[in-house]
Amino acid sequence: MIMLEQILCIDDDPITLMLCKKVISKSSFSHEVITAQNGEEALHHFNVLKYTNDKAKKRPELIFLDLNMPIMGGWEFLDHFTSSDYIEFNTVPVIVLSSTIDPEDLAKAKKYPIIIDFLSKPITQPMLEYLKKKIDL
Amino acid sequence: MKSKTLQITLIYTIISIIMAVICHKLLTTYFSSSEYPYFSLIKDIVFILITVLVFSFILSKNEKRNITIFEKLNKTNEEIKESNEKYDIVAKATSDTIWDWKIQEDSINWNKGIEGVFGYDPKEVGKTSKWWFDKIHPEDSIRMSIKLYSFIEQKTEKWQDQYRFRCADGSYKYVLDRGFLLKDENGRAIRMIGAIQDITKQKEEEQRLKLLETVITQSKDSILITEANSSERKIPKIVYVNPAFSQMSGYQSNEIIGKSPNIFKGPKSDSDELKKLLSAIKNEEECLIETISYTKSKEEYWVRFSMIPIFSNEGLISHWISIQRDITDEKKLETEKEHLIRELTQNNKDLKQFSYITSHNLRAPLSNLIGLLNLMEDIPIENEELQEIVAGFTKSTHLLNETINDLVKVIIIKDNPSMQKEEVSLKEVFENVFSQLSFQIELHKPIIKLKFDKVPELITNKAYIESILLNLLTNSIKYKSENRKLKISITAEQIEQRTILTFKDNGIGIDLERNRDKIFGLYQRFHNYPDSKGLGLYLVKSQVETMGGTISIDSEVNKGTTFTITFKN
Repeated sequence: MIMLEQILCIDDDPITLMLCKKVISKSSFSHEVITAQNGEEALHHFNVLKYTNDKAKKRPELIFLDLNMPIMGGWEFLDHFTSSDYIEFNTVPVIVLSSTIDPEDLAKAKKYPIIIDFLSKPITQPMLEYLKKKIDL
Repeated sequence: MKSKTLQITLIYTIISIIMAVICHKLLTTYFSSSEYPYFSLIKDIVFILITVLVFSFILSKNEKRNITIFEKLNKTNEEIKESNEKYDIVAKATSDTIWDWKIQEDSINWNKGIEGVFGYDPKEVGKTSKWWFDKIHPEDSIRMSIKLYSFIEQKTEKWQDQYRFRCADGSYKYVLDRGFLLKDENGRAIRMIGAIQDITKQKEEEQRLKLLETVITQSKDSILITEANSSERKIPKIVYVNPAFSQMSGYQSNEIIGKSPNIFKGPKSDSDELKKLLSAIKNEEECLIETISYTKSKEEYWVRFSMIPIFSNEGLISHWISIQRDITDEKKLETEKEHLIRELTQNNKDLKQFSYITSHNLRAPLSNLIGLLNLMEDIPIENEELQEIVAGFTKSTHLLNETINDLVKVIIIKDNPSMQKEEVSLKEVFENVFSQLSFQIELHKPIIKLKFDKVPELITNKAYIESILLNLLTNSIKYKSENRKLKISITAEQIEQRTILTFKDNGIGIDLERNRDKIFGLYQRFHNYPDSKGLGLYLVKSQVETMGGTISIDSEVNKGTTFTITFKN
């Protein structure tokens, strides 16, 4: 089983981010976890990646995305991220990790092929086991 | 005639005697006795000849006269016969009942009509006017006889009246009786001849029409009739309006008869609806429209009216009938209702959004708590007191999580009244439920009887039916009696168009006398169990009802509980 090099967690809640980091490292899911507090910050990270020529710099291989965030929420982030501006990153799969129960969010998620799963918080070790299998497939 | 014969005989006798005496005198005077017998013979012969001539003249004259009289008589007889025949034919043809009343003798004769029309046997028909008057309806008889006698007194010739005449079978017929009075030379009424016409049908028709007319005049709906000059493609003129119409429009009938219904039109009238009306008039078709109309005082009112074309026997349009109703109040209510629905829908949407946000905001920190507790599991805690605290903390957090998850389920059910249905195998559903409860089943080892052979499959929502059975089964295990082994029996039956699921246990039961109204309520708990949240049965009922079913409970304390779930197929 491969271990991912780097994943990106986008969430405004520091506790969620802390949990992500800890659970991911415990499950040996990824070597590195980087975080962003909202969509804008995440886009900024991708902009930096886009305009630096440092090919050696790591790129996230998976994104955990929250939906409700200040400044730029999950949906807005996805609209930018799936546009032609970020075409070089459109192979990075996104997993929605949220506490929402709104069925409209679920329906909306189906419209984005980039979203490979829609999971309910909190992130747990069994969840990561399940994701590992899913990504390997 | 006799006196004339006597006269002639007398004159002849006198003349003959005088002539005999004169001849005798002349013969005795002028002729000798020898010549006398000779001349006497001649005289007798001459006398006989004259007599013969006179007789033959008189007889021939009489004979001629007799022939004329006989011919006259014959002719009169023929005329009478013909006249009688005509009378009979006319009497038959008119189907009238004819009577002939000799007033002085009070004798009355009836023709065959009394038998044919009124059913009387000729033998029972009386010969006096009393019989006639007796047969007249008591309510009509006094009025009729007063009118008849005052007519006879006035001695005008023609009389007519309407009354009810009793038939042989006791029923009454409406009749029109017309009579003609005959007078003698002194002007006394001697005879009256009349014809009775059966007008029952006309009367009944008249009454029927009167009744139908009251429908129009008394109707609360407005009725308007126009002529149909469709050839000119104009709005036809009004020929009738009923009182309800006058009340609705403010126009009295004499003010609008002959006018065009265009006068009800105004600035706010719906032009599309009026176009529909014009096209219906053009095509001679029925139509139903709703528009704003204007009263005489130019007040607006909403009217719904139908236009129905009336065709003559020849299939040509003759009139339009319009039935109208003031629907102003109805429209007002409709608008209010629409407004209310809009408001409620918005409120509902807001509430739904609120519930989603609230639940999200509750779930977010809770999931953090759970995540953090999960992390703590791997960290050893030395302090026993802290261990105890963390254990309590963990238990409370999980209970809170379950509660919130149940509430979320309720919100989602309430939000999705229509959900997907599929063919579900009941056996499979139970296998799933049992596997989720395997720990409790293993622990308590209940005796479970399943009887699904009659309804192996059900068209329903799989997640819901699983949740329902999981809840009921959990309840049965949770509220089992400590005094006996738990028995659960679950059966599915098909009765007519219904599928009935019965879920029966022998647990501690619920006191229905005290709790019947609350049983399926939200946050209702009937036993003091620490992990009971009062949500299960509320959730079950919501899910059953969302799938279009019903649920009922029968329970006895310390005997057990039976739930009956019914789904219409």
